[in-house]
Amino acid sequence: MAKKNTDLIMHDKDIRAVKGKARIGEIAAKTLIYIFLTVMAVIVLFPFYWMIISSLKSLEEYRLTVPTFWPKTFHFDNYANAFSTANLATLFKNTVIVGVISTILSLVITVLSAFAFARLEFKGKNVLFAGLLATMMIPGELFTITNYATVSQLGWKSTYTVLIVPFLVSVFYIYLLRQNFLQVPNELYLAAKVDGTKDLKYLWKVMIPLSLPTLISITILKMMGAWNSYIWPRLVANDLAHRLITNGLRNAFQDTSGNTDYPVQMAAVAIVSFPLFLVFLFLRKYIMKGVSRSGIKG
Amino acid sequence: MNAVKDVKVKNKSKSPGGSKNPIVRSFDKWKAWIYLLPAIILLLIFTVWPIINTLRMSMLVNYNPMKAVGGATFKFGFENFTKVVSYPKFKQVLGTTMLLCVTTVPISTMLALIISVCLNAIKPFKRFLQTIFFLPYVTNSIAIGMVFAAMFNIVGSFLGSSNEAIQSAGIINNMLGFFTGNKDFYINWINAGSSYTSNIIVMIIYIVWNALPFKILILLGGLQSVNKQYYEAAKVDGTSRVRTFWRITVPMLSPMIAYVVITGFIGGFKEYSSIVGIFGDSMGPAGDAGRLNTMVGFIYDAIDSNAGRASAAALILFGIILIVTLINLWVSKKRVHY
Amino acid sequence: MKKLCIFLAILTAISASLLAFAGCGASATPTPDSTPSATAPATQAQPTVTPDPPAEKGYDGSEVTIRFYHTMGQPLQEILNQYIEEFNTYYPNIHIDHSQVGGYDDVRNQIKTEITVGDQPNLAYCYPDHVALYNDADAVQKLDSLIGSKAEVTRADGSKEIMGLTEEQLADYVETYWEEGKVYGDGLTYTVPFSKSTEFLFYNKTFFEQNHLTVPATWDEMYALCKKIKEINPNCIPLGVDSEANWFITMCEQSGSTYTSASSPHFLFNNETNRAFVKEFNKWYSEGLVTTQGLLGNYTSNIFVEQTSYMSIGSSGGTSHQKPEKVDGVSPFEVGIAQIPQVNPAKPKAISQGPSIVIFKEGKKITEQQVYASWLFVKFLTTSAAFQADFSRVSGYFPVIKSVNTDPVYTSYLEKADGFDYLQALAVKVGVELADSYYTSPAFVGSSDARDEVGRLFVKCLTITQNVDSGIESAFEEAITECEYRFE
Repeated sequence: MAKKNTDLIMHDKDIRAVKGKARIGEIAAKTLIYIFLTVMAVIVLFPFYWMIISSLKSLEEYRLTVPTFWPKTFHFDNYANAFSTANLATLFKNTVIVGVISTILSLVITVLSAFAFARLEFKGKNVLFAGLLATMMIPGELFTITNYATVSQLGWKSTYTVLIVPFLVSVFYIYLLRQNFLQVPNELYLAAKVDGTKDLKYLWKVMIPLSLPTLISITILKMMGAWNSYIWPRLVANDLAHRLITNGLRNAFQDTSGNTDYPVQMAAVAIVSFPLFLVFLFLRKYIMKGVSRSGIKG
Repeated sequence: MNAVKDVKVKNKSKSPGGSKNPIVRSFDKWKAWIYLLPAIILLLIFTVWPIINTLRMSMLVNYNPMKAVGGATFKFGFENFTKVVSYPKFKQVLGTTMLLCVTTVPISTMLALIISVCLNAIKPFKRFLQTIFFLPYVTNSIAIGMVFAAMFNIVGSFLGSSNEAIQSAGIINNMLGFFTGNKDFYINWINAGSSYTSNIIVMIIYIVWNALPFKILILLGGLQSVNKQYYEAAKVDGTSRVRTFWRITVPMLSPMIAYVVITGFIGGFKEYSSIVGIFGDSMGPAGDAGRLNTMVGFIYDAIDSNAGRASAAALILFGIILIVTLINLWVSKKRVHY
Repeated sequence: MKKLCIFLAILTAISASLLAFAGCGASATPTPDSTPSATAPATQAQPTVTPDPPAEKGYDGSEVTIRFYHTMGQPLQEILNQYIEEFNTYYPNIHIDHSQVGGYDDVRNQIKTEITVGDQPNLAYCYPDHVALYNDADAVQKLDSLIGSKAEVTRADGSKEIMGLTEEQLADYVETYWEEGKVYGDGLTYTVPFSKSTEFLFYNKTFFEQNHLTVPATWDEMYALCKKIKEINPNCIPLGVDSEANWFITMCEQSGSTYTSASSPHFLFNNETNRAFVKEFNKWYSEGLVTTQGLLGNYTSNIFVEQTSYMSIGSSGGTSHQKPEKVDGVSPFEVGIAQIPQVNPAKPKAISQGPSIVIFKEGKKITEQQVYASWLFVKFLTTSAAFQADFSRVSGYFPVIKSVNTDPVYTSYLEKADGFDYLQALAVKVGVELADSYYTSPAFVGSSDARDEVGRLFVKCLTITQNVDSGIESAFEEAITECEYRFE
């Protein structure tokens, strides 16, 4: 699909002297872009669609060997069941608390570190940065045994702290933001220095607005982390008061013999996804705003 | 390798901290560490210490934390490493890991780049389509795994002989049958008797699918901070789209591309859960379990019974990723435009 | 380049110093009586020196909280809570804090990690291989002295009971279930059975009656029957088997051949008899007579309820999935439940599954009184006919004591058993009748690896189409190598 697209544009170039044909070429290119994006969108959307229709099937229909693409009968009662079976309100509250606090703290730490790596010069900077990158390369599973011992000794088990603090620093995000900060021309910083502007003020007034799209991306990723985290929360804070959403959803819908009632589980997943979806629509606006602002200033 | 040196020297002379005032310089030095302090403290506790502990475990032959609690002691030595390397399936595991890595990273990066550029080039439905490409983030991973397995799964006993009932060849095969015009056409993707190649193709599709939203998000974010004036200028000059793409878009996006490629490689070497998602814990089609096992899967296998060997395997993996990342960084130092 | 060198140099330096440190740590810790790492406490077989609580002592009525990990879903937890209430009328100071951790593997993983810091619960659902794992850390309370304890404890209502089990209570446990607590190679009791399941042959009774077919008692009869069914309906797969691993292990048990052993050498399944039955089933598969979950790509119960298959060997715990969906309020067919086919019908064997309960012994955070209180609670749950009956009724698992038959609600429930709506009652009824045939394979660290490995091996062997003999031989050898690599 993409190749066809390029061919067409090259063709377009050769005849650009002929104005009317160029217009046709333009339209054809746009059409191809739309077709391509639509096909990709359908592929990307498929699991979402599957989640919704699965949430409306009966368990018997769900288990059919030949999956149906449209529920034979709509079981809206799955949603009612999901609400009554799982303690959704508490799960949701915990996830939001952990998600919001850890996102805010993580953003602060990431911005400061990325700024240090991007703009400041200090001894051992490159070594330290390479070291940080290196820590990403060890499979995290091996950290679990040791980290579990650490948080037990700190007495953090079954607290919000244990869900927030150990993962506040993400080398991924520091790296991402540093890349973004590096794009901001040095001259801006040097000029600010000449003006006597303090670092933090410069950060707040110039760097952050310019990197807003990236910061929002980090926010989204971090929130999703809280949403999908499973192994660690189950290990360290699986009590009712602190249980997070994925943990809650994984176990709440098992019948007596340990089989999961998938349609009801899917209904629950859909219910908890909905507020998140709204948050996304909201954040998307901000991405646009960040873009327009950086367009003016950059 | 000299090139790295040159580039670094050049970078240094450009860098802002190289200002002539020695007072400012010493203040900067001190300040940087203050900024980094929270990150460093947390990393020391929750990342560096576990790494040190991993090193320790890797040197204790057949170390097992349960047995350690039970009072057992362990010999000190390199046997964990030699055992891992001499394991008959080690080469196969490493090969699958690398194969998945070198295929999925370029494909997903290229595809994400094209989608981002397309999204950036249109006006009507732009918001709508953008929203759709963000949607996978609110789709729980529980749902995604189930869908993919169902799509490729053939249900029915089947060896290729005529007396066996195929109940459902799966959506993908149905579509293939539709497009090839042959209703009975199907490929055994993931079931018993399937080929390594078709297994790998399914994994590539799944991994690329999984990686797309993140990459689109990052690249689109980067693309939208590219100054529109460059494009205006290109338009005035009559530069073709393809040229604009390679001469403006890719260089301007190069920090983001470097980011998704480097992190993609690191993630790719740690591939594991996607394979469990399709093939289950057996890490392979029925009848050939472990065929698609990866390094992390290999570590997981050992972690229960032999944490010493798991640690050794993890360190070997670490070494490999370190080398690949250094190469990546070296390339991007030469290519990335800031 | 210079920076890179410095970085690598630092990395090397750190590693080197760590290695030195690790070396010290390793050589500084040995204790005089330490055993080589390969010797698990279970195989030490030194019953006399185990530091059990003294038999004459017992629970003294103090305030204790007992943590209990299980996998019970909501309906079962409600029953549990109800009986905890009753238990608390006798022992108001024993607080039971129970939680569903997830599935069985989740329980094991959670506890495995917690043991490393001494934070394990007091009680947990378990399978034998979990216990073998916990034994590595010497964390399990051996129960023999508690079972035999004559120490008296006073209940809140003033009545007294002995800590241990009375002879009647001990005799009330189904013997095959009770034996499961002793599969750790030293003859000692490590667990108490809680609720049990097995594998059944589910068959399409309506289809069998229409075609005058009889339920097979042996594998030979099964082969003939499958052939016949395939003639009646060439598009069907007569038999589906859900668990390949269970199938293999059960065939070993039925044939009297070796599978694994709790003492070294552990992996004994590569032998003539086993290769022979695998080869036989390879023939079945190539003739389209049988399929398994791995080969089918779906639960075999699904094709059973859709009538693409007429027999299904599956867990009694999954009975509800063997029931066809009603069409316009009518079941498409009646389901029959029978014992799985045997090699020797005179000595029937079927696998025993379902959770037992393990008690963790006194340790960093577990007090002696907690151990006593845990035991009292386990004893209460497994000797209360009312609890066992209610639990069985809701879960579909079998009760572990015989006296449930005195519970009137339970007996009337079993009387309703049929092949339609009350299939679960039928399963329990058949299961209780067949209790003598249940076996448990030896448990040791690595027994779950062996289980996984033979399941894979079996699937692999069934799909071999050319050079079957040599293919099977090399697959067996590979499986043994794999098990041994993991176990060393």
